[in-house]
Amino acid sequence: MALDAIVMIPALAAFLCSILPFRKAAWVITLASTWTVLPLSIVLAAQVLSGKRIVGVPGWIEADALSALVLALVSLVAALAAVFAGGYMRRREHDLSHLWWFYCNYNLFIFALLLAPALTEPNLVWVAVELITLFAVLLVGFEKTSGALEAAWKYAVLTMMGAPISLLGFFVLFWAYRSAGGGMPETWERIRALAPSMDTNLLKLSFLLVFVGFGAKAGLAPMHTWLPDAHSQAPSPVCAVLSGVKTTVPLYAILRFLSIILASPAARVGNWMIVLGLVSVAIAAFLLLQVHDYKRMFAYSTVEHMGIILTGAGLATQASDFGAVSQMMNHAITKSLCFYVAGVMLLTLSTREIKSIQGLFRVSPFAGSALLLCALAIAGAPPFPIFLSEFSILSAGVRAGRYTAVAILASLIAIAFVAIMWQVNRMMFGRPATQYVVESPPVTCRLAVVGAALPVILLGVYIPAPLHDLLQLAARQLGGH
Amino acid sequence: MIQTISYNVMQVVFILAFAPLYAGVLSRFKEIVQSRRGPSILQPYRDIWKLFHKDQILSEETTWIYLLTPYLVFVIPIFVAILIPVLTDFPLVFAFMGDMLAGGFFLGLAGFFAALAAVDTGNPYGPMGASRTRMVGFLAEPVFMIVFFTVSFVAQSTIPYIVQQKWIASPGAFFAPAHILLLIAFLMLILAEGGKIPVDNPTGHFELAMIDESKGLEFSGRGAALMKWGGQMKFLVLACIFLNVLVAPWGLAHGPALFGVILAVPLILLKIFLFAIVLVVIESSLAKLRLFRISEFLGAAFITAVAAMVTSIFPGAQT
Amino acid sequence: MTDPKVSIPEALNALSAGLVLLSAFAMVATRQVRGVVRFFVIQSLLLAASCFLLGYSRNSNHLWTLGAITVAAKAVAIPWILRRLLPGEFYERREIAQAINIPASLLLSLLLAILSEFLVGPLAAASIDSVIRINLPIGLAGVLIGAYSLIARREAIPQLIGILAMENGAFFAGIAIANELPLIAELGVAVGVMLIAVVTGLLSRNIGQTIGTTETGTLSELKEEATPWR
Repeated sequence: MALDAIVMIPALAAFLCSILPFRKAAWVITLASTWTVLPLSIVLAAQVLSGKRIVGVPGWIEADALSALVLALVSLVAALAAVFAGGYMRRREHDLSHLWWFYCNYNLFIFALLLAPALTEPNLVWVAVELITLFAVLLVGFEKTSGALEAAWKYAVLTMMGAPISLLGFFVLFWAYRSAGGGMPETWERIRALAPSMDTNLLKLSFLLVFVGFGAKAGLAPMHTWLPDAHSQAPSPVCAVLSGVKTTVPLYAILRFLSIILASPAARVGNWMIVLGLVSVAIAAFLLLQVHDYKRMFAYSTVEHMGIILTGAGLATQASDFGAVSQMMNHAITKSLCFYVAGVMLLTLSTREIKSIQGLFRVSPFAGSALLLCALAIAGAPPFPIFLSEFSILSAGVRAGRYTAVAILASLIAIAFVAIMWQVNRMMFGRPATQYVVESPPVTCRLAVVGAALPVILLGVYIPAPLHDLLQLAARQLGGH
Repeated sequence: MIQTISYNVMQVVFILAFAPLYAGVLSRFKEIVQSRRGPSILQPYRDIWKLFHKDQILSEETTWIYLLTPYLVFVIPIFVAILIPVLTDFPLVFAFMGDMLAGGFFLGLAGFFAALAAVDTGNPYGPMGASRTRMVGFLAEPVFMIVFFTVSFVAQSTIPYIVQQKWIASPGAFFAPAHILLLIAFLMLILAEGGKIPVDNPTGHFELAMIDESKGLEFSGRGAALMKWGGQMKFLVLACIFLNVLVAPWGLAHGPALFGVILAVPLILLKIFLFAIVLVVIESSLAKLRLFRISEFLGAAFITAVAAMVTSIFPGAQT
Repeated sequence: MTDPKVSIPEALNALSAGLVLLSAFAMVATRQVRGVVRFFVIQSLLLAASCFLLGYSRNSNHLWTLGAITVAAKAVAIPWILRRLLPGEFYERREIAQAINIPASLLLSLLLAILSEFLVGPLAAASIDSVIRINLPIGLAGVLIGAYSLIARREAIPQLIGILAMENGAFFAGIAIANELPLIAELGVAVGVMLIAVVTGLLSRNIGQTIGTTETGTLSELKEEATPWR
């Protein structure tokens, strides 16, 4: 019941936003829908923890621990981003009359994001992920400047190029499933159960295709080139959702697939995942050293973290899976905070360039302290949650005896840490240049920043037991030993 | 034995006799499609007859090449006609004398001498046309080779008669992707070698734009008649290869009975006239390509032929 | 090498497969925007024909409906949508801007077709179903050639058609290997494809209105240099 409601509410909200009499209230409708979905998803997570089997439509819409976790993350980020969007969009847009289109789009985007983890038929998951991409494209190009349109077009082309490739991969998977005697409808669970007897060549081929196709959407290198452009040009609340959860959902799909592969004799694939994950982290770390725009900086950090999650899942041990899943969670909440802060900075300072910002602390203490907080958090400093999850991945790797991988990963994380902190340092301290016209950020934006900062600070020191159990359950879905 | 030799002779006579008719039919159809009346379909015969009764005028610069070429151009298609299935689908006496590659080389020999003769006279238009012809020819060579190679590979033989047996064996073989792609590649090739639109305009009189017509430009009297007739025979021979081997290998005489061979004649005529309609449609609906675009056209033919080869060689696509 | 037990529908399916490959090459070889759209429509019709033929030979209503959906969505609806969304001048372009010239593009497409045969040929040959043996390599070739045309072209509409052509290729392989897919999934995919067309069309229109042409190759502001916020 809760599951169906979670999926249907944003769709309903989108519909309402587009009807003429409700257009003025589009923001309120969005707020209402996201803040209703959020408690529902928490209820769902609790139900999963208590061992109930969640079934929306049997065989089609079901939820297990991993999908419940992703749903909860999506709804949390969506809710806070909606709060942030209120003030931000009003400040940035000169033509308020077509804001309803933004909110309508936003609701459809959230709808698709919620749909993907809830579906169990892989081909429908493909459809949902495509819908995610489509609505995201519309949102990225919202501001209609040539920069935004270029970013949106590059995004569209790169990710949609992956669509038929992953579709073919799913077809091949279906073929392997049916040849091994699978029954209809095809669900993730059933495929996992049949995995040991499926043809390994077909499995490998389909995984390769799906990885290429979805990897572009998840921001994995070398298909990540759309990420920095999209994030620097899209409105900040959109960036928060993009980086926080929209890259996570295709990665979730890849991880589901990975769990199937690991259950089959083709388990060597895990090593390839480690290598590819490390490649993403490496590219992101080196690009972070020479970035000029702080939103792009956060975007590269997303690429880095997606790579870390992939590496963690590739290590394929229980402990590293736990690390990967908690990294997913921590990244979602931290990265969305980063983009709220970036949005506040943009509103306050009206520039995206790093080198033209100095002495942020003195210009706007609120923005300055928020920036310092989120930079430390995203770079992986203690006592913030990302440090915890990265550490658990590294220690799991050591325990599994993968010393080279761990060494490379640790050094790359260190490089990225240094790069981020160096850029942020440049912005924070020093004499402020006097030509800033400082506008104080709107109330909703501040609310959102504070609201997002709370879990970041909290989860670094204390993870409540139910959350920990949920993470453990979700990690078990990833199929490591 | 005597019978098969006489059938061979009949094939040659068929080609000799009907080549000008085919050219006449083609030009008549084209004019009709363009809402004009057009010349009579027997006009090419009258032209050849007229030319035979005129004097030859030779330039002072010419050598033996110029004198030899008309005979070569006339005789070579006859040689090729001996090798290909025109009326019968079982191999005749001289069928094993040469295979498709030999046929290709013969036609290439004729083209080579025609180009040399055009240069031989020392006039400017001749070499211009000859160089263009060579350009089209050298671009078409790889396509020829690939087509022949694929066909031979699929049929496990290079003799046209045996290749033809293979295609009529089953509908599966006929509709195989390799076959269809080969058809299209060879059609493009015929358009190029025969000097039809979109490669060249056969009815144009503008010497600066001529490609294939230029080879007959410098000849007069008997030489011109032989060049004309030889060109028409070459086209008919190509059409016969195309139709009888690739497209519609039916309607040929099966057994050594004379009646069957006689019956094959109207059937073959029917096939080539249907093909004439297709040609006319193609010619009337396309525009002549610019010179440097011809390489793209033949490049597309090459790609199609190689695609045919790929789909037939790799085991996955065998039906 | 020939299997005399091949039925007529399967033979005709092989024919349509050959023509699908040819239309993929044609899409790379053509210079005009209208030509690209036209060849895409032809390819979609061939795909539908293959659906019908397979539906007939395997007695599957499912495939018949899929063929009908394909015709309705790809051959009719998408060109119509594109016509409505984009002003006519984007269609009139006679020379598509591209990064690599046409003969080289054709050669590369050929190499991609050969590559796809290498990749899935052994997989396909192991199957007893002759339809799979033809459709899978050609479907993958369609996907790869579509991806190539997407990369090499520098204009909005041909790039969009490239994406849709890749879908055609994926489907062409899919109807052979995954033909019992639940109809909902197929419908979802069809809707997804149309939405892709709508969204990319909208985006192209915005691009065209903002910078005056749909040559996406000229969009190159966002590199690693900083762009001052306007």
